[in-house]
Amino acid sequence: MDKTPVLIIDDEKNIRLTMSHTLEDLELEIDTAVNGEEAIEKMDKRDFSLVFLDLRMPGMDGMDVLREIRKHHSKTPVVIITAHGTVDNAVEAMKLGVADFIQKPFSPREIRDLAMSVLRRGDVDEQNAISYESLIELAARRIADREFHLAMEAVKRAIAMEPSQPEAYNLLGALHEVTEDELEAQRFYRAALDIDPTFRPAQSNLERVTSFFRNGGIKLVADGDETGEKP
Amino acid sequence: MKVLLVGGGKTLYFLCRKFTSSGHDVIIVDSDRDECVSLSRQLTATVVAGDGSDSRILDEAGVRGADVVLAITSNDQDNLVICQLAMRTFGVRRAMALANDPENATVFRDLGLDAFSTTEIIGSLIEQHAAIDQVRNLLPVGEGKVNVTEVSVDTGSPVAGKLLKDIELPGNALVAVIIRENETIVPRGGSSIIAGDRVVLITLPENHGKVIEAFTGERA
Amino acid sequence: MKNDRYIVIVGCGRLGSHLANRLSIEGNSVVVIDNKESTFENLSLDFSGFRIEGDATRLSVLKEAKLGDADVLIATTREDNVNLMVAQVAHKLFAVPKVIARVFDPRREEMYKQLGVETICPTTVAAELFLIEASKGGKR
Repeated sequence: MDKTPVLIIDDEKNIRLTMSHTLEDLELEIDTAVNGEEAIEKMDKRDFSLVFLDLRMPGMDGMDVLREIRKHHSKTPVVIITAHGTVDNAVEAMKLGVADFIQKPFSPREIRDLAMSVLRRGDVDEQNAISYESLIELAARRIADREFHLAMEAVKRAIAMEPSQPEAYNLLGALHEVTEDELEAQRFYRAALDIDPTFRPAQSNLERVTSFFRNGGIKLVADGDETGEKP
Repeated sequence: MKVLLVGGGKTLYFLCRKFTSSGHDVIIVDSDRDECVSLSRQLTATVVAGDGSDSRILDEAGVRGADVVLAITSNDQDNLVICQLAMRTFGVRRAMALANDPENATVFRDLGLDAFSTTEIIGSLIEQHAAIDQVRNLLPVGEGKVNVTEVSVDTGSPVAGKLLKDIELPGNALVAVIIRENETIVPRGGSSIIAGDRVVLITLPENHGKVIEAFTGERA
Repeated sequence: MKNDRYIVIVGCGRLGSHLANRLSIEGNSVVVIDNKESTFENLSLDFSGFRIEGDATRLSVLKEAKLGDADVLIATTREDNVNLMVAQVAHKLFAVPKVIARVFDPRREEMYKQLGVETICPTTVAAELFLIEASKGGKR
């Protein structure tokens, strides 16, 4: 049987090395690309079952690479590699429909678990997802399909099962941002921080959302003052 | 009681003064030699110069006879080690560590120490205040010389049911606006205040406490 | 699977970077934490791990390094107390299976052994080696 082909797109040799090394143990066939141009060229020649993409690369912008992949290979699941604390593009990437995110640094176990769960994700649906983990998997699958409301439903069911996981609230916050309900998004980021005040992703999300509001969302001037920015 | 303080700076100085004035014996361990000289001149305490996380220094300072050890250096890692040495090596019954990073207060407790964080303490004081007296500071104006404060009036308030002109207020205080349900009333002497109102007050720092007290009945 | 571990190293000085380079080349996934970015220059070109600039006595930095996933933690900074604190936090709060701290002051070793932290004191180790060599000498 043919090995499952996986593509790793990253300008950093470190990351390509670590990831290929780790994923080879899973009997996957690993190919790598050092930039967006090379990646798109490779993807046009053959179908990959899974793609890892770093959004921060010199040359062709990671977001453009993602757009290109989503346009021409909409069935290929894409996992975004992010540096710790950076969430600038996460919401935009989610809107385009990505399979998952992985934050640097990552352990070999984390990479393998994520790769396997994304590759197996096709089996999970609204009927058979009954545990917290499988509901989060389902949400991730629906995000990749760009079915954001179904994804939200899944996360809510997950929260109902385990109400003390900051990740789930953070994810729900991000989904509200994707559907452009920033106030609700803030509420869920705050809920994540109530559970764990040190939870970094929610911290940065909240900072980003609230600074967005300062810069243009909330009217800070009295009615009738036309110099104020309108949302 | 015999207290051993490890650290430096003003906090150490004032803590020591507080303990000695209430009749406790205090030993200070400070790694800053110059500070040690001036501390020994100003305080009636034994002052030892050296690294408090070094067991020899602690021993020399007389940690074995201490009832309490307080580690308040500016490095959390040093405070942890000082307290662990005091308790584990020298058998001191109580040791408390300052957590400069408030998150480390929890870490220290998880590692089996008594810990405190000034950030946590001040933060909870402020929260308690805000929760108790239904008072919200809206904004300080003119570099804090004028306060704008919102107070909720409940049935227990001494002003509930009174006319504004019958309420005794210190001079230089002003009821700027009464908010009743969604209506805003610019008050006159004949306006009354009823339970459920929210009142926006303008006060000066010197009369702020009294004005708030007049409206809530509680000491601010 | 021996050389496929997730290893967090605190301190990227001479000892820390040396360990990081070796463990990385052997195929482990290595994260190095140091509060000075310039120390990362000590890492070799073959180092394929991650770098985090930050103070390891802060919980948030250790979480960023995903210490909870680590198989091994090695604390190698020049400050005994930093190493001892990080090592205890790794052992007790993150349940890292193997925790090793470098400690310069040999008198601290015993207490930390009791606390579940394995310590290595470079002076003691070096002294042992010197003594072994010295015992071989002498006119007979």
